[in-house]
Amino acid sequence: MTSRPSSAVEQSFSDPVVETPEAPSLRLEPSRKYPGALIVVEGIDGSGKSTQLYLLKRWLEIGGYRLHFTEWNSSPLVKSATRRGKQRRLLTPTTFSLLHAADFADRCERQILPLLHSGYLVLADRYIYTAFARDVARNCSPRWLRNLYRFAPVPDITFYFRAPLDVAVKRIMSGRPKLKYYEAGMDLNLSLDRAESFRIFQGRILAQYDEMIESDKFVVMDGTLPVNSLQKQMRQMVKARIDLARFAPKKSARRAL
Amino acid sequence: MKSAKSSKKNGHSKKGLSPTGASPRNYGLPLPGVNDEEFGGSLIVIEGMDGSGRSTQISLLTEWLESEGFAVETMGLRRSGLVAKDIDALLAENTITRMTLTLMYATDFYDQLEHRIIPALRSDFVVLADRYFYTLIARAVARGIERDYLNGLYEMAVRPDLTFWLNVRPEVAFEREFRKSHTISYWESGRDLSLSDDLFQSFILYQAKIKNEFESLSERHGFLALDGEASVVSVNTDLRKRIAAHLGIQRTHYRPSAALAHLWR
Repeated sequence: MTSRPSSAVEQSFSDPVVETPEAPSLRLEPSRKYPGALIVVEGIDGSGKSTQLYLLKRWLEIGGYRLHFTEWNSSPLVKSATRRGKQRRLLTPTTFSLLHAADFADRCERQILPLLHSGYLVLADRYIYTAFARDVARNCSPRWLRNLYRFAPVPDITFYFRAPLDVAVKRIMSGRPKLKYYEAGMDLNLSLDRAESFRIFQGRILAQYDEMIESDKFVVMDGTLPVNSLQKQMRQMVKARIDLARFAPKKSARRAL
Repeated sequence: MKSAKSSKKNGHSKKGLSPTGASPRNYGLPLPGVNDEEFGGSLIVIEGMDGSGRSTQISLLTEWLESEGFAVETMGLRRSGLVAKDIDALLAENTITRMTLTLMYATDFYDQLEHRIIPALRSDFVVLADRYFYTLIARAVARGIERDYLNGLYEMAVRPDLTFWLNVRPEVAFEREFRKSHTISYWESGRDLSLSDDLFQSFILYQAKIKNEFESLSERHGFLALDGEASVVSVNTDLRKRIAAHLGIQRTHYRPSAALAHLWR
């Protein structure tokens, strides 16, 4: 995949109104013209990413840092549509992708961007790369997808948790006896057997993630390592790359603690 | 399932797909899993602001085409089985942001395209679209979203065979709409853009922006502009002349049935 082009919308939240009848749409860089920082974890199901992000969050919370945690696919906005689409199996690769993009846009415009502008450390469990990997695995065009998510701010760090397919699939299957239709990629007719379809689908997603390591500057984490040593690496990386002092509790607040 | 008739229609050349997947029937990309070389039919779009007479003309054209023996399917904005209701709810709540709204409308558009329009075209229908993605682009541009972004978003849309633009002055559209429903919708007057506290002013300013964008869309996509302020009969005559030429209909005489006679003025 190619690198990300510029943002699709002006990222100022003050006033979107354009005075002239021409309504010139501004091309702004996906710059980090905000005081906040964005840390993202990515990887296939069962790669251990959520556990690691949770531990990172606890570490920062205990330290009193200003942070916000956000998850992929968590907004109530498109829940009914997604549920309807899934139940009736109405979703195509395109509408599946668009619904998730709409959901992400809502989170982006109402949470992530305002928080980054107000100086928060934002932690995201999955981000746009989840859509790139999964939707390309569903045969959507990479070019179309890159354009679709152009409005998303670029992360300061993207941790990519990489676990071999067998390890990840075993972790998922042991905790989840029944795989759902879309989750298993059954819409792609890869196999009539749900577990087998899931395996093939996850393999395709894994290959897509690997494709993005360089172009999207992923920090690759070996998902087979023990939890605590991975967490140690993660914290070191965060300290090295992000000026955490910016998010530290104010002096007066610390005294109050 | 290619019908014999579709091959004689203009516009549908049977060239192979280019390496990028662009074909004469899309805007640069095919939909995943759709081979747009394989369908015939005709897609005819009618654009124009509320109050321009679009729906009246579509009712009349549907009857005329059916009387000529053509199977007709229609589409419009916010009519998908997937998200139409959700968009209604979001609009009513008025907490939705512009990117989200843009993408919900795109979902609605592609759902109809994949579940309604393409199957109809495959069966050699004439699809009459009461607005198309052009309106969605114009509205989004008015809200500061880049044209390039929007063109990319709709790259997989089916390219219409004919697109008519019923042009009316915003003042006239306002009057017609107000007479019909005694109010003007929040969104149709672009109130979310805070252009003016006065509803009429806001409507005029917003529709001027939309119209401006349509001018450039018209140039880019080759719209056939018609005077939407002319009588229903005269607009309908112009539409039928163009469509008849496209579909190879010889005789274009038409009088509406009793059910639609009230529209004929």
